Amino acid sequence: MIRDAAGRFRFGPALVLMLAAAGCAALASVTSGAYPLAVADMLNVLAGREAADPVASMVMMEVRLPRFLLGFLVGAVLAVAGAILQGLFRNPLADPGLIGVSAGASLAAIAVIVLGSTWLGDWIAFAGEWALPVAAFTGGSGTVLLAWRIANRAGQTSVATLLLAGIAINAVAGAATGLLTFYATDEELRSLTFWTMGSLGHATWDDLLVGAPFMVLALVAAPWLVRPLDAFLLGESVVGHLGYRTDTVKKVAIVVVGLGVGAAVAVSGLIGFVGLVVPHLVRQLLGASHRVVLPLSALLGGTLLVAADSIARVVVAPAELPIGLMMALIGGPFFLALLLRIKVT
Amino acid sequence: MMRWLMAVAGIAAVVMAPLVGAEDTPRLVTADGAITEIVFQLGAGDQVVGVDTTSGYPDATESLPKVGYLRALPFEGVLALKPDMLITSDQAAPAENLNRLSRAGVRVEQLASARTPEAAMRRIERIGELLGAVEQAQTLTGELRANMEQTRKAAANRGFRPRVLFILAAGNHSVMLAGQGTSAEALLNSVGADNAVADIKGYKPANREAILASQPDAIVIAESTPGQFNIENWPGIERLDAWQAGNRLIADSMLLLGFGPRLPQAMSQLSRVLPVDSHVAANDS
Repeated sequence: MIRDAAGRFRFGPALVLMLAAAGCAALASVTSGAYPLAVADMLNVLAGREAADPVASMVMMEVRLPRFLLGFLVGAVLAVAGAILQGLFRNPLADPGLIGVSAGASLAAIAVIVLGSTWLGDWIAFAGEWALPVAAFTGGSGTVLLAWRIANRAGQTSVATLLLAGIAINAVAGAATGLLTFYATDEELRSLTFWTMGSLGHATWDDLLVGAPFMVLALVAAPWLVRPLDAFLLGESVVGHLGYRTDTVKKVAIVVVGLGVGAAVAVSGLIGFVGLVVPHLVRQLLGASHRVVLPLSALLGGTLLVAADSIARVVVAPAELPIGLMMALIGGPFFLALLLRIKVT
Repeated sequence: MMRWLMAVAGIAAVVMAPLVGAEDTPRLVTADGAITEIVFQLGAGDQVVGVDTTSGYPDATESLPKVGYLRALPFEGVLALKPDMLITSDQAAPAENLNRLSRAGVRVEQLASARTPEAAMRRIERIGELLGAVEQAQTLTGELRANMEQTRKAAANRGFRPRVLFILAAGNHSVMLAGQGTSAEALLNSVGADNAVADIKGYKPANREAILASQPDAIVIAESTPGQFNIENWPGIERLDAWQAGNRLIADSMLLLGFGPRLPQAMSQLSRVLPVDSHVAANDS
């Protein structure tokens, strides 16, 4: 049976289903696109053989494959970051967007784009390709840390304060971004506008090389948080009683989220929705244990983003929709429908 | 009977194939409104198989596939149109996708953005070379240069440099003043006029007080869609002497700012609304 006594899906069958979905998304991602490729050519390229269309190999190996891998990684990281924050703050509304991580990361990244000609220029030139991800990471983790510091009074983290702090940080980061936008040249401005809507359209192996280590590190460190996060569900004081160091757990969580989301924002721009909704989806289907929520959020987040990206690049072909828009357009109504069907627990 | 028909069909296919495949006219994708205009003007419009979203002139561009915005050109989208050449400007982005296109066998030509009449003429000639239409390009630039001569004479006869307020309007909630270093300022300079708000850099949101304080000799409003700018929402502009005196021009932003083949037309339209002597000087003295 695929459902247990409580009507929830069992982990095993759910995992198999989701792996199948991920496989389908992967297939859709590498087979769909504005450029028509013959099935035989695709198979030949993937098998390392010569394709009839000389461009086929380039489209597959240099465009679709890195785009798929980057998309999956970004989706997985955003979903896991959302799951961690929701667990840490015992609040289903916490997501990288709401508590200001995305805004902080994007502020830093935009600063790199706009301030290239000022005092930051030397550092940017020195950091090269790493400038954007490093800045985004610093901005992302800096804002989580700030939000957490503000919400933390005498060792107790107030969730309400945290969300309010997040709103304020979002406002300030948004205003600072606006200020940079104001001073940006016409050209920078038009690049920024598209960057904030998110895109995987220029994903290269280099992007993957720069961003993936941070994101993989975040994903690899996440399992360490499984048990402490389960303890957090029972209340913050329980965490200590069960022998976990509350402070360390929080710090690790913050570093993981800042690292992952910062790198994701740096390579793909702003992509909302995944972090908030995917963990919910998993919890609705499989229960709240983080042993289940974290890995399956990663799987589902990656799958959803890759699927949305596949649609985004064919639906208005030969043009492409920004993936951030796509995610909200498809995901929003889908999530609402789900809310109406399933009683929220 | 069936076999005979198939044989005929087979022969027909063999005979027709070279004819169908014999397209030696190159397939072009153009990205950048002014460049698209030039390509059409030089008679290569039927070779264009796709344009970007900044290309809305001439009307024939409407039926062509749009590959998206100039600064967010998709790799696969452009490649799918199987172009031999992509002609675009140095504004095109992202660079990764342009690199990939050229590695996929598409000739990518990025032309410098024109900011002076002479640069605009050189760009037309360069596109003529790319299209193998050198003579047409020279004829065209010859005509355009002759047209601009009229405007230059008018500017020389004016005897003073009018200060012009240049407004870029993409709807009433996005009304920008064109400041220093913009193509709007370049257009003003090309007809012997100065920017009335030269202390602003780039395009900045319009400030009603700055508009009143600028006391221009003439006003230009560039609309991204015709009829978009509603003067009733901007009583300050209406109150300016230059507006009252009729020294005003409302025109399409691509015409005014494209620096394409319609540049002489833009220059002469602008030149015609410039006063022969300064209002401000007349009022002040």
